[in-house]
Amino acid sequence: MTDHISEAVSWCLAVVALVVLVLLTRQRRITAGVRRRNAALEESLRARDEEVRHLCDIRLPAVADGVNLPTPLPGLKDEKLAGTTFAQSLHAVMEQFTRAVDKAQSRADASAKSALKASMRALQGLAHEQQVSISQMQDRHDNPDVLRDLLEIDHANSQFGRRAQAIAVLCGSWPGRQRLASSLTDVVRGSKSRIRDYQRVQVHSLIDVAVVSRAVEPVVLAVAELLDNAARHSQPNTSVEVSLQPVHNGACIVVDDAGVGMDGLEVQRAATLLSGQRAVDVSRLGDPPQFGFAVVGLLAARYGFSVSVDTRSPYGGVRAVLFLPSALLTHVDAGAPSAAAAPEERSAPPRTLPSRRRAEPQAPGAATAGIPAQARPVEPAAPAPSPTPRPAPAAAPPAVDDEAARSFGVTAGGLPKRRRREATAAPGPRPVTQTEPDTGSHRVRSAEETAQRMGAFARGTRSGRAAHPETPQESAPRPQDAAPHSEEGNRQA
Amino acid sequence: MSPGRRERGLVRPYVVTDGRAYPTRNTFDLVTLVMAHPDRPLAGLSPEKRGVMELCLGGALSVAEVAGYLELPVSVTKVLLGDLVDSGHITTRSPIPPAELPETQLLQEVLDGLRARL
Repeated sequence: MTDHISEAVSWCLAVVALVVLVLLTRQRRITAGVRRRNAALEESLRARDEEVRHLCDIRLPAVADGVNLPTPLPGLKDEKLAGTTFAQSLHAVMEQFTRAVDKAQSRADASAKSALKASMRALQGLAHEQQVSISQMQDRHDNPDVLRDLLEIDHANSQFGRRAQAIAVLCGSWPGRQRLASSLTDVVRGSKSRIRDYQRVQVHSLIDVAVVSRAVEPVVLAVAELLDNAARHSQPNTSVEVSLQPVHNGACIVVDDAGVGMDGLEVQRAATLLSGQRAVDVSRLGDPPQFGFAVVGLLAARYGFSVSVDTRSPYGGVRAVLFLPSALLTHVDAGAPSAAAAPEERSAPPRTLPSRRRAEPQAPGAATAGIPAQARPVEPAAPAPSPTPRPAPAAAPPAVDDEAARSFGVTAGGLPKRRRREATAAPGPRPVTQTEPDTGSHRVRSAEETAQRMGAFARGTRSGRAAHPETPQESAPRPQDAAPHSEEGNRQA
Repeated sequence: MSPGRRERGLVRPYVVTDGRAYPTRNTFDLVTLVMAHPDRPLAGLSPEKRGVMELCLGGALSVAEVAGYLELPVSVTKVLLGDLVDSGHITTRSPIPPAELPETQLLQEVLDGLRARL
């Protein structure tokens, strides 16, 4: 019996042990699963922690630093998180932050720009005022000692004005001064006036084109920045060579310096700035601020010329080429065409007074089939006429009147003699050779009458010299005198 | 590039004279007459000097007139003219003096003599 009992107990024990074993293994498996899961969660939590730290340390500062830079922003640190809700939330945070930074930056930029612009405007005004008074002083004092000092002040003032102008332009202002259309040579020399080392700048090849009025000041400013760069980045004993070249679609101003040149990175940066594509950030111009290329790029984009600095100069430095399209070019009336037209028109010695040069080309222009002088500029394709066009001759005088307007030799003093112009009411067959005004009655006699009188006078003297005197026949022309010439009262005596 | 059409104030006087304020010779007066030599080459001259030559080729002009036409200060014009005289492009002539008046002292003596006699 006891055997049975013990057998039963042992069976029971075995069953219990089995059950316990099964339970234990199951529990063990569950525990392992939980542990794994726990570890995975822990891992994920750590990854998220790290991701958040990465966001704080790397990604957000990158956004703050590179708002205007086109560089790609750093992404997630752990790629396993990609696509999860967590990553999307992080992305939302990034976007919010970027927007906020953008907004703050643009607001700061705008306020900095407007403050700078206003103050530079004031400085520009002062510089201009000072320039005017310096010019007046230069006119007033005829003393080399005074002039020397005035030239120095003038030079400093011009540089000062240019700096203020450049910063104002960078802040979105207009270049300011409206000028007359000026020759390209004068434009370059105007730029030369505004830099420190102007004496090192050599301008070659004077070509006969001019810059239209609205583009004069921007081009002057841009070339001044290029010249200043060239002069500042080269040895003081070297020269900066400027040459002006007419090209098919316009003209080029080529600035060569013998300086250190630029490496690839600098050239790339300069090209970006010169393209004028990117908005210039006033707060990121560097220390000391380098705004030359930025200003040139802005002006180039705004006025439609282009600048490149990517070639090396034959002197080892940088070659800057400013290309002006034909739309910005025009012609001012040079002295050469009128000088060429002068000899065929009259063989008299050339004029003395230059003020006559303005009126002079009208005579040949009117002689050639009565074309208005306005219709024959040197370059017909020039879109914008010069701002002060030569006044057209009074309604294109016909060739008959031209006879009277033409000059016939010159006086002893060099002034042109002109024949008196006939009144249009009395055109005519009547010769105008000898019109002797009667000093008594201020009337003008006709040639026949005058001839008769002269004849009578001659006869009278002859008869007077003869032995027996006769009465002179002075009364003979009297009847003709009164009748036929009553309409001559409207003639200008 | 006629002198009247130039934009004043664009090219500053120190660029025109290349920084010099003293003429190379001190013989210019406001009324000194300037005459150009027509056969001298114009190549290599600055636009202002060309302007002087163009102005003076027709006859004599005074320094003041040249300065007026070029719209430059007289002192700056003198520097340019000094250069042009040095390079042989122009010659100068002092103006024709006005008829010489008798000295006031002589007149006074004549007056005194007349008063003493009458």
